[in-house]
Amino acid sequence: MTPFQTPVTAQDLPAVRIDVKNLNFFYGDSRALKNISMQLGTNQVTAFIGPSGCGKSTLLRVLNRMYDLYPGQRAEGEVLLDGKNILAPGVDLNLLRSRVGMVFQKPTPFPMSIYDNIAFGIRLYENLPRSEMDGRVEEALKGAALWGEVKDKLTASGQSLSGGQQQRLCIARTVAIKPEVILFDEPCSALDPISTSKIEELIDELRENYTITIVTHNMQQAARVSQKTAFMYLGELIEFDDTDKIFTSPREQRTQDYITGRFG
Amino acid sequence: MATGYRARKRIDTIAKIACGLATAFGLSWLVLILYTLLVNGLPGLSLAIFTEMTPPPGTQGGGLANAIIGSVMMTAIGVAIGTPIGIFAGTFMAEYGRHDGLTSVIRFINDILLSAPSIIIGLFIYQAVVLPMQGFSGLAGSLALAVIVIPVVVRTTEDMLLLVPNQLREAASALGMPRSFVIRQVSYRAARAGLITGVLLAVARISGETAPLLFTALSNQFWSLDLTRAVANLPVTINNFINNPDPNWKRLAWSGALLITLAVLTLNVAARSFGARKSSK
Repeated sequence: MTPFQTPVTAQDLPAVRIDVKNLNFFYGDSRALKNISMQLGTNQVTAFIGPSGCGKSTLLRVLNRMYDLYPGQRAEGEVLLDGKNILAPGVDLNLLRSRVGMVFQKPTPFPMSIYDNIAFGIRLYENLPRSEMDGRVEEALKGAALWGEVKDKLTASGQSLSGGQQQRLCIARTVAIKPEVILFDEPCSALDPISTSKIEELIDELRENYTITIVTHNMQQAARVSQKTAFMYLGELIEFDDTDKIFTSPREQRTQDYITGRFG
Repeated sequence: MATGYRARKRIDTIAKIACGLATAFGLSWLVLILYTLLVNGLPGLSLAIFTEMTPPPGTQGGGLANAIIGSVMMTAIGVAIGTPIGIFAGTFMAEYGRHDGLTSVIRFINDILLSAPSIIIGLFIYQAVVLPMQGFSGLAGSLALAVIVIPVVVRTTEDMLLLVPNQLREAASALGMPRSFVIRQVSYRAARAGLITGVLLAVARISGETAPLLFTALSNQFWSLDLTRAVANLPVTINNFINNPDPNWKRLAWSGALLITLAVLTLNVAARSFGARKSSK
């Protein structure tokens, strides 16, 4: 059983999906995020750009509370997902993560068959008969534009696929449990250009149904896939605006310097 | 320049020869041991070894059936007790307690236990089990073997789980999977070959142990399946028989030694090939 089974149509949703208010983040004593406030819109792709160590991945990992796996890391402030503060004590992290999915930098297929890689996550929440499960797996693989390539070898190990296919398998796995938000942490940095463009197309299609954030080092990628872009530097959110605006007429000098390659 | 190069080549050749000789020297002992075992043990190896009991001194014939079954029984029980404890402890160290100060304390103590002389473990069980139970028993022998199994399995379990990439755990957690699920379904699965190899190596390790059985299971001349009494076993039987002038006993001791060696060799090869097959995939 799952609380997310009922399909929600776009107009039911509030325009702001995630509302970050005065977020500070600490690795032990060192402060990695400084007073971040931003709003992530429903059915939009928001890109986080900035030089290495600027805190963009840290910010992403706050949104599904991934940092909770490690001691000594803590967040202060508020992150509202549909109006509820996910940083509040007592939040069910497993439930949160089923609503906020994540795709990582390196493809991480589980050591099991392609079919089970997808079915595994679904089984956590739903007890489906075989035929329905087959349908869900197919649907997820189609959603990740992988079905055509793997439909004849669903029992093969997920680790036998190529890097780009593995990454799409991970996306399929994430989509299969029907989250509301998907976080991409540099999803293409380990992939070749063709796989990269496939993933980018996919992200653009997923936007219709999900709220998406993507961390990327590739500014062309940010420009291609996102509607909003956030530029971060040394733990601060320097500028957050429409992607077009950030890349054509940024307000801040530092943004200008970064996107023109003067530093970072 | 040219002379320097030639000198380097010469040194390289000398070093290569020295390495080869050192390897040959080390391996020659293993070959000698196997050769001695085969020469002395093979003639006595017959079906009777597996079907007949250990003979009384001064008689002909007989076998090692009671000692073989006793060894198999105690090894099986020792592994059955030691493996779950070892796996649980190793899992705690690698999964839950990775950033915990307690883990390094446990690891330190476990390493001490790992290198503890096995006769000390035998004495400990003698004091803790044999004396209170007022008698040698197969159970005490199994417990002594379990105490040896635990640190081996703890070590391999922790090492193998630490090899599982953390990204895999994060990916599983990101699907909303509870921690216990992540460990059972993802970490164990990814480390399965290594975990099984660890258990096989632990079996190999205890199947030849004599010292922990001397004061615990002792030995038994007869068919002995009752674990509350002294139970026959291969290592102690070899120890008793080889020191006896009776040529029949000596012959049986050699055959028993060959049997243990072959069993350990098989287990080791199985463990290696199992690990290799899995990791090459």
